[in-house]
Amino acid sequence: MIESTHYDFDAIVVGSGISGGWAAKELTEKGLKVLVLERGKPLAAGSGYLGEHAPNWKFPYQGKKPRELYEEYYPVQSKVTHSFNEGTRHFWNNDKANPYAMDEGKPFLWARADVVGGRSLIWGRQTYRFSEMDFKANATDGYGIPWPVGYEDIAPWYSYVEKFVGINGKAEGLPQLPDSEFQKPMPWFALEDTIHARLKKKAPDVTLTNGRVAILTEDLPGRSACHYCGPCARGCSTGSYFSSQSSTLPAAQATGNLTLRANSVVERLEYDAETKKISRVHVIDAQTKERMTFNARMFFLCASTVGSTQILMNSASEAFPNGLANSSGVLGHYMMDHTLGVSGIGLFLDNMDSYYHGNRPTGLYIPRFRNLNGQDEDADFVRGYGYQTATLRVDWQTGLNSKGFGAALKDSLRKPGPWIFALAGFTECLPRESNRMYLSKDKVDRYGIPQVVFDFEWSENEVNLRKDATKQADRLLKAAGAAFAIAGDDKMSMPGEGIHEMGTARMGADPGESVLNAHNQSHDVPNLFITDGSFMTSASCVNPSLTYMAFTARACDYAVKKFAEGVI
Amino acid sequence: MNRREFLQCAAILISGATASQLGFSLSLEQQGFLASAPDYNTTPVDYFTPAQRNIVAAMAEIVIPRTETPGAVDAGVPTYIELMVAHWLNDGERAIFNQGLQDIELRIPQRYGKPFDQLSQADQLEIMEELEDAASGSEWYEFGNVMREFISEAPFICQFKELTVWGFFTSQEGASQVLRYNPMPMSFDGDIPLAPDESSWSSPL
Repeated sequence: MIESTHYDFDAIVVGSGISGGWAAKELTEKGLKVLVLERGKPLAAGSGYLGEHAPNWKFPYQGKKPRELYEEYYPVQSKVTHSFNEGTRHFWNNDKANPYAMDEGKPFLWARADVVGGRSLIWGRQTYRFSEMDFKANATDGYGIPWPVGYEDIAPWYSYVEKFVGINGKAEGLPQLPDSEFQKPMPWFALEDTIHARLKKKAPDVTLTNGRVAILTEDLPGRSACHYCGPCARGCSTGSYFSSQSSTLPAAQATGNLTLRANSVVERLEYDAETKKISRVHVIDAQTKERMTFNARMFFLCASTVGSTQILMNSASEAFPNGLANSSGVLGHYMMDHTLGVSGIGLFLDNMDSYYHGNRPTGLYIPRFRNLNGQDEDADFVRGYGYQTATLRVDWQTGLNSKGFGAALKDSLRKPGPWIFALAGFTECLPRESNRMYLSKDKVDRYGIPQVVFDFEWSENEVNLRKDATKQADRLLKAAGAAFAIAGDDKMSMPGEGIHEMGTARMGADPGESVLNAHNQSHDVPNLFITDGSFMTSASCVNPSLTYMAFTARACDYAVKKFAEGVI
Repeated sequence: MNRREFLQCAAILISGATASQLGFSLSLEQQGFLASAPDYNTTPVDYFTPAQRNIVAAMAEIVIPRTETPGAVDAGVPTYIELMVAHWLNDGERAIFNQGLQDIELRIPQRYGKPFDQLSQADQLEIMEELEDAASGSEWYEFGNVMREFISEAPFICQFKELTVWGFFTSQEGASQVLRYNPMPMSFDGDIPLAPDESSWSSPL
């Protein structure tokens, strides 16, 4: 290595979403000069949230979605119906401007943000720890390779990030879902208390607990407790839910060590065969198409699972003909996502004279209850699933197609109807070599970068998990006292629809079958760290963002120590 | 946008007043805020003839009449319907709507001697009930079939009712004077008493 090399930055972080925001915060707070490259547009916290608090009557078409616009420019993103609308559209990727090869491979929903902060603005905010059972799952049943990290290694890092993120929930002491550092839990609907009591008696094998969400119920510095306006995905100028904008980027900014460059599409990383390290990053400005490079001592890829993997694949060189840091050949393989969907809907006539104040931005949660103590006898699958629940009171939207006219119709539509309590199963996905992404041979995007192709399908295990989730939901809704229960169908969600894509640059002890070591560091290239979902060796059935955050903070700690030792 | 401009937008949200009522004009950047946009149902539109406009208003008022609270006309629903037919329905849906409206426009005076909007409310209701009876086999009426895409084949009367009900309960009048509206609840309580005559909340879409 030539000692006189001048570095533009100590570290370059690609991506400003959940993982990139944490990398920026941790590295700058440890004194490193950091450049964050974000391919999306600039977005100011607060004043960039154009849809925040807009009432329904201000929306174009008063909330009916602009169908032609979405079909032409947002055919993929608009499928994310729970958070894509005219109040959030400016956060999302324009599919026409930034396509992937949808007509090759197999159907896959790649949900993408296109602003600083990435998907941390529009995420579901559900935050759950992986358990010891999750970290041991691969080693136990033989699917995938063993995690090189145990629960005890990551537990302190979970605590570390949770205190900063601000997570509300209720401690339950469950081994399959370790408690986080909680703020006080959000209150429940009366119907949820009713259901809780019935399940305790009639289905004691399950626990009904608060959804654990990265939304404040107590103020943190610079951020206020939730004001319960409801639609979080439009952005939150009080910083009540955790996003890069509300939390990690301001912290990084405050150090004076952060340079954030938006509109910066990373084309590739350049590998120096002499030093055996990455020397620089090649960037294309999304607006001007100007090309530039930046060098640094180390590089953190936090560009999302698919984004980071695409960059590595497009960074092939003589030394790494199959993609940078891919001597193992597993890069792009072992992709996972969670299957999700409604498993059952119950209609309830209890607590009809009870109503609510405020829009609680989460449902409750039923943690995994299958295959907990070894394999359940009646289970034709390994691993398990959890349910996110939704409680709502039927309103005019449900009666929209009623017969009749006049004052009677108006009166019946304005009044609350029965309660609905629904269970949505989130099931674990096994890591399989055949589930993969790769680069198209002939399609490129507007920057000349090869487009991503997906080749992913659910295995029998996920299909059987989903069927069981539907069957058990029916049992639970009956135990809960539903007046009647409608079973969810067993239809599998489209791969990618869980927006939990992960695993394409997995970590492992053996460099022959993994891309990263236990510290998210490349086996092949010591100054490369990858801390977005691509490092995940298995998927658990819980939402993964909290785990990305904890591993990112841990990897930064390790990297800075190595940096100080002069090893990197 | 600077802090002052941002707070101005917040003032619009909280007070429900317009920018000019509050004594300032909006910068280009502030106009990007959806919350400070004009109400959708005040968007200028010139699609229906004056005669059709009268019919649409009378029909909408039959679906959701003014009672002790505002009705469809008070809530700007006729303009909403005109906007949606002009700009939102696709060609096939628009053809169904136009044909249905023309049918009312041409057939009713032959049968009743007067245009629809000049008939008694009882006659108007009878006509609309006849339309609903004739359409009752449509999948639009299927129970629970509500959180779905707009049904392109839905008959005129179903289109009309959907646009009226939607346009009413998402309007400012419908949301805040017929339903209950609170943009800034500040807390959550999952167990407060509900009196028999109380309305639902207007929920953010």
